[in-house]
Formats: sequence, C-alpha cells, structure tokens
Amino acid sequence: MAARDSKSNIPEFESIDINTKPFHIDSFRAEWLKRLHPAQYSYEQPDEDEFDVHFAQEMGLDAGTMSELTSVCSTDSLLCHPKDEQPDTDLVPEDATLITLIQRKKKQDRKLTQKCPKNRHEHYADELERVTIERKPEAAENLVPEGDVLLTINVYYPAVFDKFNYTRPHMTLLMTGSHTLAELRDAICCVSDLQVCGEFSNNPDIVPDFVSKDHYKSAFFYFEGVFYNDMRFPECRDLSITTIEWAKSRNFPPFTQANMEDTRLVDLKVKVGFPYLYCHQGDCEHLVIITDVRLMHRNDCLDKKTYPLLIHKDRIDTHKCSVCHVYIGRWHTSNDQFAPSDPCLFCDKCFRMLHYDTQGNKLGNFLAYPYIDRGAFN
Amino acid sequence: MNHHRKLVKADCDQLLNRFQQTESVRFEAFSQIWRDMKFEQIFYGAAKHNNRLFTRLVLDTAYEFLLPPFTFQIRVGGLYLLYALFHSQTANPLEKIRLALKDWEEIQKFETDSLEAQHYDVVYILKKLLHIKAFVFTAMPRLLAFDRKKKSQMSPVCESFMERPSAPQTLINNNLLEELSNVHGLYENLKSSVCPQSDSSLSLSHPDLVQTLRETVLDFYKWQKDKFQSSESSRDEDSGEGPSTQQESSRRADLLASIKSRAYEQAAQASKSRRHRAVEVDVTKPEQSSTPSARYERIKQKTLRYRATKNIQVSGDMWKDALSHTRITCLTARDNEKPPRCFKKFKWKTEDT
Repeated sequence: MAARDSKSNIPEFESIDINTKPFHIDSFRAEWLKRLHPAQYSYEQPDEDEFDVHFAQEMGLDAGTMSELTSVCSTDSLLCHPKDEQPDTDLVPEDATLITLIQRKKKQDRKLTQKCPKNRHEHYADELERVTIERKPEAAENLVPEGDVLLTINVYYPAVFDKFNYTRPHMTLLMTGSHTLAELRDAICCVSDLQVCGEFSNNPDIVPDFVSKDHYKSAFFYFEGVFYNDMRFPECRDLSITTIEWAKSRNFPPFTQANMEDTRLVDLKVKVGFPYLYCHQGDCEHLVIITDVRLMHRNDCLDKKTYPLLIHKDRIDTHKCSVCHVYIGRWHTSNDQFAPSDPCLFCDKCFRMLHYDTQGNKLGNFLAYPYIDRGAFN
Repeated sequence: MNHHRKLVKADCDQLLNRFQQTESVRFEAFSQIWRDMKFEQIFYGAAKHNNRLFTRLVLDTAYEFLLPPFTFQIRVGGLYLLYALFHSQTANPLEKIRLALKDWEEIQKFETDSLEAQHYDVVYILKKLLHIKAFVFTAMPRLLAFDRKKKSQMSPVCESFMERPSAPQTLINNNLLEELSNVHGLYENLKSSVCPQSDSSLSLSHPDLVQTLRETVLDFYKWQKDKFQSSESSRDEDSGEGPSTQQESSRRADLLASIKSRAYEQAAQASKSRRHRAVEVDVTKPEQSSTPSARYERIKQKTLRYRATKNIQVSGDMWKDALSHTRITCLTARDNEKPPRCFKKFKWKTEDT
C-alpha cells in the first residue's frame, strides 16, 4: 500500500536516541519535498513585510488587529536590556539568576586566574569555518540544487589505534546527496595511506615517493548488508569477496555488492547513527557513522566544489624527536647503538647528524624505517 | 557539553512552570516572564568555540517541549521559547531549529488546533518561523552518534507539563461504541431466533455492555477533569496576577475543547507508540548490552597497579621514578629542569538541591 511505503521512509528510532531504522535517503528527501512548499526550502531571502500582509489576508484580520499582533509578537518585546545599553555578551552578567549562568560564572572566574592561550589549531578551525559558511559559488552550475540532501558523516580512528577508538571522531565531513561514495573515500585521510615500507638505513636519500596509498588502492564501504567496492583502477581488487564467501558458508543472511563510484549517497539505504565500516589497505578499518541527514538550507555552503567539506578534525598529540623535542619524528630506528631506547624516533636533521658523517657514510649498526606520525594530519 | 544539558533543562523547566501558572497562551505573558528572568543572558559568556554547540543544545532542549505528550499550553510555551531563543542567540550565522520528518504531522495538527481556537499569536509565530527559514528539515531531532553509554542523561520530565493520559477515551470512542451496540443487537437477535427461551447457560455476554462501557469511560474522564481542575484551582489561589476572568474561562474552554477533541482522535497514539517503543528498547537492550554489562557488573577486583603500589614499598628517588611515567623527552633533559606544568581541568560539579 502506498501509505505503508511512505511510512517506512519516515525515519524512526530503532533504539531511542541511539540510532534509527534503515531508510532510503532519496525517498526521505521526496517525503519532505512532498510536505513543503518550495518557498520554504528555497534559497531566497525572506521578505518580512510581505509575510505580514499575506498573513492578514489569509486569516481575514483587519489592519488594527494585525498591527497589534505584529507589535506584540515582535522580537523587540524580548529584549531584556534597552537597545542602547547592550551588555558585553562575552561576559557572564554579575546578577545572573539562571542556573546555567551561575555555573558558567564559576568557570569564568576560575579562568581569569589561569592563563590559557588559544593555540593555532583552534585558529585554523575558526578560519576554516569562516571561509566556508554561507559561501555562494561564482558559477551557477556549481550551485547545490535546492532541496538537495546534506549528510554529516563521522569517520573514526582506525581500529588499530590504542586511544579514542570509538568515542572521538577523527574527522567530520559534510557531503551532499549527489556525491558518490568514491568521493567520500577520497576525502578520508588516514595515516596508514602514507606509510612507506622498507628499510632505508643504507640509502636514506632515496626514500621512494610512492606510498601505500598508491600501492594498495582497494577499499570498500559496508552499509546495511551491501559491500561497495572501489573498482576505479585496474589494480583494485574486490576485498569484500572473502567476507561474503565466509558468510555464505556459515548461514548468514546474504550480502550483496555494488560499485563505490556508481553509488550516490542518495541511493543508499542506511540507519542514521549506526556504525558502518570503511576498510582500506586490506586491514585498516574505520568506523563510519552518518550522524545527520537533512535538506539544504540557504545558510549552508552552497558551492558544490567545496564538498566534501571537513568541518571537524580531531587533534592527536604527535611524537617528537628524542633529541631536539621540537620536530616531529620522521625516522624510526631499531637495534641502534646510538639511541637511548629501542625503538627510537628522530627528526630528519638529528637523524642524519647522529648516524651519518659529513660525506653521507653510515656510521655504526642500525635499522632505519621512515615513520609517519599519527598526528600527521593535524 | 553534557554537563550543560541538565542545567539548561532546569532553566527551561522553571520558565515554563511560570508560564503554566499564568494559565494563558498569550505571547505577552510569555515575554513578560522572559524579560523578568532575563533569559537571553543564557547565551552570554559562552566560550567562543563552544558557542555554536551550546546554542545547538539549547535549541534542541527547547524543541522537545513543542511536541506531544505535553499539554497544549506547554507546547505553546515551547514554541514561544524557540522563537525567543532563536532571536536571542549570539552565534553568527544563526543556528537553526531542527525539525524532524516524523514530527511534521504533529506540528501541522498543533497549528490547526491553534487556528480553530483562534490563537492568532501562536499561528503567527509558527508561520513566521517557517517564513524566515528558522527551521532546517532533518531526519532526526538530534545528531546521533551511537552513544550507548549516555542513556542516563535523560533528565526527568516535569509531571505537571504532561498531557493527561487519555487511553480509555481513545480505546472506547464513539465509533467503537456504535459498532459494539450494533454487533450486540445482532447477536441478541440471532440468539433469540435460534433458541426462543432465554436459557441462563446461554447468557454469555453482559446485556448492558455498551452502556456500562460508556459510563465507565465518562466516569474516568470526569474524575480526571476534577483532579486536574482541583490542582489548578489550588494554584489559582497562589497566583497573584492573571488575565481577566472572562478571558480565563474562554481560554480554559478552548484548552478543554482542544484536549477533548484530540482525545477522541489519535492524539494518544503518541503515548501508545511510546509504550511500544519502550518495549522495543527493553527487548533490544539485553541483546545489545548483554556482553558488556555482564563484564562490567562482575565484582571489580582491585587493579594490579593499585595492589602493587599498596604492597610494594621502595624508598626514595627510585620510588618516585617508578611511580611516574618515563617521559622520553626527559631522557635527554638536564637534571634541574622542571617537568611541564599541567593545567587542572575545571570540574562542572552541580550541587543537587
């Protein structure tokens, strides 16, 4: 029945405040568009006077009642302070009565006694937000169409990390519905993609340019029983086939496959708030959670070219060189007779100064591997 | 951010409590309380990087009051609260109110109810918010990130805000009673046509079933009304200011009319679905959390570290070194260098009154 179908496209909680039941994103979008007037989701600037006139006509109110209504319900009646005496909104007022403010005042007083300067990462984050919010594209074809869907996707740290595995998202991305999963994959940066394999103590200058990302191009996403493989390049292999065959032999419900580059985000049937999987490099697995699905709004970034848009990136402490404690470690040595510990990290300069003479000859015994720090993407 | 949730909820509860006591649905009454409590200050002093998150939290908390199962007056208060908070926020560009698809029908019904009762300010504000694009149309009211541990954060809802349960009225509505009486009549006719004498062993149904049902439901409704009104009248004595008696009685009539009309429709489906949902959560909870909770609820043995530090006594510097982590930066540091300063985190302790 049509009524029953439309009901299943309205997202409902499967577990309250945790995740929803699976629903098809394009149908969800259609449901909203069915209920709304195009003016309600268009990008046009709303006109307030026109609204008042229209309202009076619709309700059949005379001018006197209408003017009384507008004056009573205007936002001026909500002002707690006279217009010319607006207080400083950065400080908690002295005579606050709200419970939230009492707590906040305590923190503010505490903060004044300690000096906590803002670090550069927060500056970068603010700058990023300032640039992208409300951005309109120059060319009309780059405009995200009205009524398109915006998804907020959290990508978590790989399973092999020891800290913050499932609690802190490593990055939060915004994507429009018309993007493909392949574009999502390209936007996810993982440290394991940059690893260079091999021992280079004898020839530290010839560290190869190509990284793991170029060697092992295969990846897949798993959403609701379907594996989406990356098949764009001839080297890509289907990583999911192992799991599918294993599942078949053990009476699991059957899984299906599809191509990442052919699937747009609106074609997915997913649960909001439920963890799914992104696997690349064969064994580097990340949890992926779609935290929000909504219609575009005129205040969002409307330029298609900026998507996938990174809105939050988690910062993780980097390990510095054991010698200078200033630069991030780039070489990882073991069996090293010069190092205080095994293994040991060095930055490039300290590494060369300690292990090689001025002609570039290797001194002593050691094994050296190029090291990519976890916080390389900070 | 979560320590703020309870505080914000407490503030909103206080505001809506005062609004409920005025027994009015007029925006003037609301804005009077808003100005009195200086509620717009709730945004002041928020740390810059937390400002958007805090505004999001405040709007989400206020949004809950707009939906059933709250009473009509509380829902109107919730709408006014959203309007006021939306316009007083300090985030730039403005943080929007999230409207979930599943709540759209409720909001439409709310609008039609207000229109029928001629509460023009309610309709004006709702339409105005839609017009200035204060809403963003989402799948779910809050961002969901599979936070299973944070279940205990649902703060208790004020009982006096809740809609009176009207399950008996929904179940035994007029249509059902009519059908029942028809079926009953047919049954009696059939029975009398099959066996002419009224055999006591064949009287398996109540002769006055329909009548009894109807009377029971009406009794329940009257009892509920009396209970509700007696608590209202006790509050009447306390409240000093209030609208004129004529306005009050017409407003009360509106309230009761809207409640009654919705009692005989599908308003209580919210409570039904809540019950149904509550059952669902209970069913899935043991499956989802059986393994972790079984592990956590075992008797916690003291950690090895605790037992070791308690039992082993080593004297002097070696003990200090053994207790602290070996910092790789200190391996090559000079002896008289101080370890780096650590900033103590601010504890958001709330005193429970």
